[in-house]
Amino acid sequence: MSGRARTPLARRVHAGAWTIRRVVPSRITALAAATALATLCAALLATSVRGQDAFSAGAAPGTFEVVDVYVESARPLAAWQFELEEADGRMRVVGIEGGEAAPFADAPYYDRDAVDGGTADRIIVANFSLLEPDDLPVGHTRVASVHVRVAAGAAPDYRLRLIAAGTAGGRPIDAEISFDTRNGRRQ
Amino acid sequence: MNEYRHHVRSLAAAALLALVAACTSMSPDARRLPSGTQADGAASESGQLEEITVTGSRVVPGRRDRSTFAPSLAAPTPLPSGAALDRVQGIGPADEIWFIAVPDGADEGPGAGEDRPGSGALVATVPGSDPNAEPTTVPLPLEHTDVSAAIRGYVGIVDVRQEFRNPYAEKIEAVYLFPLPENAAVREFVMAIGDRQIRGILREKEEAEQLYHEARAQGYRASLLVQQRPNVFEQKVANIEPGKRIDVAIRYFHTLPYHDGWYAFVFPAVVGPRYNPPGWQDPVGALPRGAVFLPGRGRAVRYLRPGERSAHDLAISVDLDAGVPIEAVDASHPIETVREADHKVRIALADEDTIPNRDFVLRFKVAGDEIRSKLLTWRDPETNEGYFTMMVHPPADVSDIPRQPVEMVFVIDTSSSMNGRPIEQAKEAVLTALERLRPDDTFQIIRFANEASPFGPEPVPATAENLRAARAHVEQLDVSGGTEMIAGIRAALAFAHDERRLRFVTFLTDGYIGNEAQIIGEVHRLIGEARIFSFGVGNAVNRYLLERLASEGRGAVAYLGLDDSADEVMGYFFDRISRPALTDLEIDFGEMRASEIYPSRLPDLFVGRAVVVTGRFAGEPDGVTVRGRVRGEPVELSISAADAAPELSFIASLWARLRIADLADRMAWTSDPDGELARQIRETALEHSLTSEFTAFVAVDASEQTAGTHGTTVHQAVPVPDGVRYETTVGAP
Repeated sequence: MSGRARTPLARRVHAGAWTIRRVVPSRITALAAATALATLCAALLATSVRGQDAFSAGAAPGTFEVVDVYVESARPLAAWQFELEEADGRMRVVGIEGGEAAPFADAPYYDRDAVDGGTADRIIVANFSLLEPDDLPVGHTRVASVHVRVAAGAAPDYRLRLIAAGTAGGRPIDAEISFDTRNGRRQ
Repeated sequence: MNEYRHHVRSLAAAALLALVAACTSMSPDARRLPSGTQADGAASESGQLEEITVTGSRVVPGRRDRSTFAPSLAAPTPLPSGAALDRVQGIGPADEIWFIAVPDGADEGPGAGEDRPGSGALVATVPGSDPNAEPTTVPLPLEHTDVSAAIRGYVGIVDVRQEFRNPYAEKIEAVYLFPLPENAAVREFVMAIGDRQIRGILREKEEAEQLYHEARAQGYRASLLVQQRPNVFEQKVANIEPGKRIDVAIRYFHTLPYHDGWYAFVFPAVVGPRYNPPGWQDPVGALPRGAVFLPGRGRAVRYLRPGERSAHDLAISVDLDAGVPIEAVDASHPIETVREADHKVRIALADEDTIPNRDFVLRFKVAGDEIRSKLLTWRDPETNEGYFTMMVHPPADVSDIPRQPVEMVFVIDTSSSMNGRPIEQAKEAVLTALERLRPDDTFQIIRFANEASPFGPEPVPATAENLRAARAHVEQLDVSGGTEMIAGIRAALAFAHDERRLRFVTFLTDGYIGNEAQIIGEVHRLIGEARIFSFGVGNAVNRYLLERLASEGRGAVAYLGLDDSADEVMGYFFDRISRPALTDLEIDFGEMRASEIYPSRLPDLFVGRAVVVTGRFAGEPDGVTVRGRVRGEPVELSISAADAAPELSFIASLWARLRIADLADRMAWTSDPDGELARQIRETALEHSLTSEFTAFVAVDASEQTAGTHGTTVHQAVPVPDGVRYETTVGAP
């Protein structure tokens, strides 16, 4: 299963403090850079979202699968944020994994409100990198994998939206986002 | 414009998170777990199963019985084939199917009966134990614990990585009960499989458990972190294949206690063997390695027998930045230090092969009072809610404060766990305190084990004759039986208060009990005008209980290690507590509009003892005024606000952790029929992404189902704490 969406960069990116963009020699500056980029990502995570259906403790066993999320960008990708949901609210997020490219290998952070309170999940995930543009991925890149449990029933109908993508300089990128799923089940 | 402001606030909030993360790692890459963490190769051959029991989720309770299933599956090595499973009627492929290995004679151990909580264990065959032989290494899944702490001022930011590897020839689920500091705010959880890192999700506990069990039953690698007590956590890692490794990393925040000029960073190493009163519904039991019982109620720690050890080792590194010059550093273990600046020191545990059976305690002394004299604040840019924390100190020089007459009640734990060095230390401490009593003081001595018995029917004057008799009484105290602390509490508090004297109740105990909530509730009910001073005796005591006793009793806590001088520690402690330096404490928050302040009841402050006050605010943090009485005279202390800084976002976590603790304490003495307290705990924990009694972290790797149709639950056995005797706490070896 796969899907693709194209979204102009959210306006809030322009408000971000993306002024520190180079890997700098001193730790202090590096820290400041990390702060600025993390600031962007976390700011983008600030939106609180709610799903629709309550998770039933006595529900029939579900299935587990991975939603691999890709961003395609013609320019080096330094930061991104996306939102994932399942149209019928049957998805429960059970883990967030980093991407294939080294700059995004760390397990990204997620918006806690999106999985709060026993509601069906929507999740907002973001990450950033401090590397030089030459070390950032270009083209089709798996930026994260969302591990989910899907309630028994019809095939899940995932909705994926790219909220923001940007360069090391803090400029927005007109990028595309897509996903594939895999379940790793043994036959 | 409003939208712009909103984003600016969001950005500021995020900056705080980033800076906190940066406190422990200077770059994102530094946060990564080491690569190559998944091992290749076959499993160790040293682990062998001795007996197999099958349980399944569809097996009714009456049939989850070893006698029902064990005979047909007994003693195969390796584990039985799928054909054996077919004999178990009703178990389908989607059920939880776990084989539980039972050692011979496991039921003979204390607490090993089927009416006890927990589940099974896999036991490796090891040679018979010879007391003079070298320790036998038992193959168990937990190989290594790596602790990396950053201390900023009086706040610790701690990353703990537990490395599990399957040493057996069959797939396993590893279960490990381990301690953390009693005030740890556990906020992050990541499972690492090789180079891959999967961030766990905080959910309501029941939901997290269900997701974990479902993933486990379907063969997916999964991990679950559940809080059993504020200072005891249970880690489960499912579907670890033979020879393979799965790491789990957690991060927590906590404040460091301050006593007499020294801050203390403590990393607890092991949960001590606890006594649970009969009928207690939520025990943390103590069982020999390999003992088995049915799941359902509570948990149990498995202990290595004398002469055994596991390969588990511990590495600790601390990046200490006090912000002001550090005068001295010392530790409970051998350490290596590198001073990077006058205010910065890097510390590492010198010997990673150290058996993790006693708390690691790092203390540091700072110059001046800058570190402690500021009001630290942080405002959430999203919600605009403010959080603050500050450390309130009494005046330093109180040498001329007259000591008031006291009614000193010593309550000594003489249960079996105190056998050996602990009871000797406790006796020495009491004898020291007796020497410091004056004729106008009165005293009582109460021992408790299975029951409580006093030195006399009521407190007696500290005359020479009474003290002589008391010393003889203390010296003949011996140990046996359980830890019915509730009896000691009642004996110490449930009698008429002498209005002419301050009643000080001093508990000397290791705190190895499972009914902490009951004890805290009883103290709350009986405390009256008394003050409780808890004295932890041992090298790995239950600090949660000791801290809560002192907090609820508006007193103070001290720790007496087994290698400490009891005379020196108790003498110093007694001198301090007998002179309240700052009483009737009040805090004027001015324009801050502070609320939900913890501790909810401010204690008297004793010389050298500070209290950390944490709360929320809605106004402007211009500073606060602390008022109280010294020598009966009113005094004032102004505390100014430090500049707000993004890296202080952890204050919100600290506050949330205190709120959860406060609500949990209230549950100890109220019935909460509508579940309101539980709801508040749950909401606070979810809002701040913290573990609690009602929330847990779960992580599932859905990318691959592991091979095989069954797994074995392996409980990580741990050594009994240093100085504690296995035979008097866990059972006959």
